[in-house]
Amino acid sequence: MKRFTGAELRYYDGKEGRPAYVAFGGKVYDVSSSFLWKGGCHQVLHSAGEDLTEALRKAPHGAEFLERFPVVGELVEE
Amino acid sequence: MARVAREMVEKAGINVDQLVELLVKNAAAELTTYYYYTILRCNLVGLDGETIKEIAEVARIEDRNHFEALVPRIYELGGSLPKDMKEFHDISGCPPAYLPAKIETVEDILKVLVEAERCAVRQYTYICNLTAGKDHRTYDLALSILHEEIEHESWFSEFLGEGPSGHFMRRGETSPFVSKFLK
Repeated sequence: MKRFTGAELRYYDGKEGRPAYVAFGGKVYDVSSSFLWKGGCHQVLHSAGEDLTEALRKAPHGAEFLERFPVVGELVEE
Repeated sequence: MARVAREMVEKAGINVDQLVELLVKNAAAELTTYYYYTILRCNLVGLDGETIKEIAEVARIEDRNHFEALVPRIYELGGSLPKDMKEFHDISGCPPAYLPAKIETVEDILKVLVEAERCAVRQYTYICNLTAGKDHRTYDLALSILHEEIEHESWFSEFLGEGPSGHFMRRGETSPFVSKFLK
């Protein structure tokens, strides 16, 4: 499984044709196919290419929505 | 635009541009849901489908009412709707409630309806949390819509057998909570 540092993850911001990846709980998910991640942005406040572990704790939904998407790697320390 | 009203919200610590964007996304969700529910309703036929048709129609009309109620608040806060309807559709805060592949299975249509309502419940809960104690008018509006979305979710989920049920259909006019914003 591919290992992403935070800096590598930031490349996958869903903009200009790049895939949209987000991290949660150490896993990296490909959310490019999601209607709610068009343009690498989710509900105004969240961007692809980021670790959303903390943000998801405050979100009005749980990790079950992320688990619908393929895991493409794991997030590692820089 | 209501300049002082916007200033008050800003002074309370809310990023008004972000809030307006969220309201626009939810207005888009309501109007597109109204559209998609029209198609879903048309496919609610047969003994099972006709049982649900009237309740789907109430939810459809109330979602349109939510759109109508959201628009003035968007403009009061200095926002606007996109001029392009296609863009408006694509920025919706909830995914399109497409007709399922097996339209003859009423349960599949019900699952689409309940998922759409659950998305709406999450959206307005979030806006209530964001605006509570800071933007009283948007909070009141979002809470009023939330009341109706929770009832819609209950109606559809109880048809799917998620019970017990404490809910009844509307008696009389639609949008008992949101109607005060439509007068």
